[in-house]
Amino acid sequence: MSLFSYTKPRALGDALKLLRNGTQAIAGGTDLVTLVRHGLARPERLVDLTGIDGLRGWTREKGQGIRIGALTPLAELEMSNELAKILPIVPQSLRDAATPQLRNMGTVGGNLLQRNRCWYFRDEGVPCWLKGGERCFAIDGENRYHAIVGTHDCWMVSPSDLAPALIACDAEIDLRSSAGSRKMKLVDLFVAPRGRERREHALRSGELITQVRIPEKALERRGTYLKAMERKAWSFAIVSVAASAKVRDGKASDVRVVLGGVAPVPWRVVAAEKQLDGTSLDDNACLGAADALLADATPLRDNGYKVTLAREMIRRALRSLVT
Amino acid sequence: MAERIRVVKSRDEFEGEIYESLAVVEGTDLPPRPAGEERPEIGKPRARIDGVQRVTGRATYTHDVVLPGMIHAAVLRSPYARARVRAIDASKALAIPGVRDVIHRFNAPKAAFRGEDTIFRDEVRFIGDEVAAVAADTVGAAHAALAAISVDYEILPHVVDLEEAMSEKAPKLEEDGNVIESGALKRGDMRRAFKEAEATVEATYRTSTQLHNSLETHGAVASWDGEVLTVWESTQHVFGVREGLRNALNLPLTKIRVICDYMGGGFGSKGGVGKYTIIAAILSMRTNAPVRCILTRREENLAAGNRSATLQTLKLAGKDGRVTAVEHTSWSNSGQAKWVANPTGPTNTLYDFPNLQTKSYRVVTNAGSLSAFRAPGYVEGTFALESAIDELADAMGVDPLALRRKHAGKESDPRTGKRYTLNRTLDCYTIGAREIGWSRRKIGGMRGSTPHRRRGLGMASQIWGGGGGPPAYATVHFNADGTVVLRAGTQDIGTGTRTVLAQICADELGIELRNVSVRIGDTEGPYGPISAGSLTLASVGPAVRLAAKDARDQFLAAAAGVLEVRKTELRLERGHVVSKGARTPISEITKKLENNTVIGKGSRWPNPDQLSIKTFGAHFAQVEVDVRTGEIFVEKIVAVHDIGRIVNPMTAASQVQGGVIQALGFALSEERIVDRGLGRVMNANLEWYKIPTVRDVPEIVVRFTDRPDRKANNLGSKGLGEPPIIPAAAAVANAVANATGARVRHLPMTRARVLEAIANMEASS
Repeated sequence: MSLFSYTKPRALGDALKLLRNGTQAIAGGTDLVTLVRHGLARPERLVDLTGIDGLRGWTREKGQGIRIGALTPLAELEMSNELAKILPIVPQSLRDAATPQLRNMGTVGGNLLQRNRCWYFRDEGVPCWLKGGERCFAIDGENRYHAIVGTHDCWMVSPSDLAPALIACDAEIDLRSSAGSRKMKLVDLFVAPRGRERREHALRSGELITQVRIPEKALERRGTYLKAMERKAWSFAIVSVAASAKVRDGKASDVRVVLGGVAPVPWRVVAAEKQLDGTSLDDNACLGAADALLADATPLRDNGYKVTLAREMIRRALRSLVT
Repeated sequence: MAERIRVVKSRDEFEGEIYESLAVVEGTDLPPRPAGEERPEIGKPRARIDGVQRVTGRATYTHDVVLPGMIHAAVLRSPYARARVRAIDASKALAIPGVRDVIHRFNAPKAAFRGEDTIFRDEVRFIGDEVAAVAADTVGAAHAALAAISVDYEILPHVVDLEEAMSEKAPKLEEDGNVIESGALKRGDMRRAFKEAEATVEATYRTSTQLHNSLETHGAVASWDGEVLTVWESTQHVFGVREGLRNALNLPLTKIRVICDYMGGGFGSKGGVGKYTIIAAILSMRTNAPVRCILTRREENLAAGNRSATLQTLKLAGKDGRVTAVEHTSWSNSGQAKWVANPTGPTNTLYDFPNLQTKSYRVVTNAGSLSAFRAPGYVEGTFALESAIDELADAMGVDPLALRRKHAGKESDPRTGKRYTLNRTLDCYTIGAREIGWSRRKIGGMRGSTPHRRRGLGMASQIWGGGGGPPAYATVHFNADGTVVLRAGTQDIGTGTRTVLAQICADELGIELRNVSVRIGDTEGPYGPISAGSLTLASVGPAVRLAAKDARDQFLAAAAGVLEVRKTELRLERGHVVSKGARTPISEITKKLENNTVIGKGSRWPNPDQLSIKTFGAHFAQVEVDVRTGEIFVEKIVAVHDIGRIVNPMTAASQVQGGVIQALGFALSEERIVDRGLGRVMNANLEWYKIPTVRDVPEIVVRFTDRPDRKANNLGSKGLGEPPIIPAAAAVANAVANATGARVRHLPMTRARVLEAIANMEASS
């Protein structure tokens, strides 16, 4: 582990001024501390965000949707009875995320920006492509948990449980840096590493996520989150599915299906969602959408089962919206 | 007194093998108490006497040992699966402030270790093999020093995978090849049995490498004071560590003391001295400071041993509702270990198959070596054998339990012909079948709780040693306040040894449990055996009983003198010396004796000659399987064991629950994953190496036959450490096959393997 200095500012503006090369923001630290320990992050300075007021907790204003502060602990969303009523997909997605201890420490912003769990990436002794090496070792290595679709130069999978659920709610994020602020759709935060872009997120240097916004319209939709794990708790998803849709008179519209654990980004195919419009989410329609979502899947030696698994989970998630 | 000492020959079983040995014993042994006799302590559920110390964090584990002036060791490990160490330059490391010493193969003293004369190999043989060690004032400086050591490696071709290592194309790691025969057994006429068979089954089974992952990683703190080397070590055998240090360092035993007060699990992997112990000792002697050498979780999962992966083929023949022949061949990935556990062990002894042929091979690879792991070989072998028996039962159209009943529960050991002291396997079947509701079992399984789930039942049998044997010694003496100190040459590896030995002592003395203080885990006490092979209670317990009996006899003689009555009129009961019409508290007698005391001694008597002492049992499993997602839900395990008299039902139940949970990890989720090209373990951590969590634990029903094995020893008790891990994986695999109709022949039964088995079944039907 390298040596670093540590600062805990009280105001967002102060924190933003401190964020520059060699500096890393830390909140819950559930990911960053492990990265530092394993030599995968070597910050000179840590800026602890947890002393900043105003970025914690969530609110709903009539007609304005939901705003979630980036420093809100995951446990606060998971345990909220209120949120369970108006946006159940979010607490549902967190119920099987990590462990209670990690959910107490981990924050919304940190969860969205966590780095991937590929074991070649996480092993400091392996010079994988994402770390500047020449190749992705998963392609002809041990790849049972790796990506089946949407890959370019790196076969890691997007690990977040929260991200697919929030994307299925059309979430947007607010970003701040000392230079200004901007907004983007959450789905655009995630980038598949390729070419010169050896990274997982579209965050610019010196930027912080300050809040997540969910539009009022998304609250009209039903939603569900399913997660497959290799044991019953404390596992990243092998495959996860977040699905939401407006259902009226047994017909679906405005459908969203977002997969975790199968691609380097939360995986969404708009055409697959569109073809469900007006259907009753019957088995055929659901499986048709699943096939469209996975049409480009090219499994490796050991991860072909993920296609079977994802297909069935998509069907179940969508079916659950109408039953 | 010396004329009371005798030497007796003894025959003991350890991990499936029989060893002959001498026993030095004294006086006479006691007969076991009859079945059903109500006792004040034995048979009573007692919470652990050290439970509060443990849960409040006050108990001192090796990890907690901090000595004045203590410095820290760290180990440089090979980054290559196979390489020659040509040169090492440690000058930059030694220049780092706080770094005291660096040792490696070019400057370290020779130190014998498991058949080699050095702990730093010339040719490193796996990723994690020891290359050098540093001692520094801080952990940080020690790790900085590791990074600053420059090693010139000549990289050599490697092979890590079991089946790749067996192929002709693999690099030859030993002169005679990578595949080495390690055991064979044959009886009957195989050819005829197969020719006359009504049904035959042939199948290949695979099990994966399981890592121990004890909560407390391996490690030692060594302190050389110029005269005596004192070592605190997380170990299953303090005397074994002492012996290993004597061999490595050439010190007389008077100059080595090993202490293990509390430890956080071993499961077989902490059976003796480790390279970390020798490193800590050498560095302590060279730097004149206490040295702490504790493995990280990653090091633990690379270099601290494992249950080796196996490839097993089975061929069974059946006729007239019986199994007529079994052929079982097994290959184990033993890494660089010089031995191998025997997966054909259960096939050799569990059932009375008339015709049998088994062979076992160890396969050398450049992966971390195997070490004993809770019923080594038997867990892997029972999975394959018991799966194959179910497959034969299906092929013959008979109930798998009924088929087993014909071959189990016999009076004598089919391998040696010796009579068992006791074998109540059939009772285990009856109890287990009742508890799981075996009569509900249907061919093809049952409907599950949701549309795509199927439910099934499965079972499997268990055989293992656990009879223990000599040598083991104990002493008991009274304090001036009437309390008692029990010393025994053993250690509590987390099973509750302290508590059950205190119960045996208090029971025999007729005093309260809280008045017994237990001193174990120290080579300055009387000798005791390794806590492995399910032998602690059956080895040490009888010696404790005799020591307590000796102390009682002597104390009553002293009390007779104090009370001025005849000794024969006195007995000890509930903390009192009882004579005709009078009850005197023990403390009153000891008060009068002041610091005059008595010291009782006890030794473990040999096992009965010409008899076979075994433990038996059966597990029954109920599972649900989601046939579309491959998810397995273990709903219930019924574990029934025949281990003689139960000393403490509470700690015994804990043993069974722990064994079942560890078996479920082996069955469902635990697997060391190694990249073949890199030779690297990709999941040497608790994130991707998946031990069961509390949510993975099903309902576990624990039952014992609980009748004393009166021929075994003076307690009538046998061991329980390993039996409960043996049959659970096989029972679950059989339940999965019953539920789905698809047989998963590769553990762990991951989603991928379950879905593949179901797809194969659907394709073939």
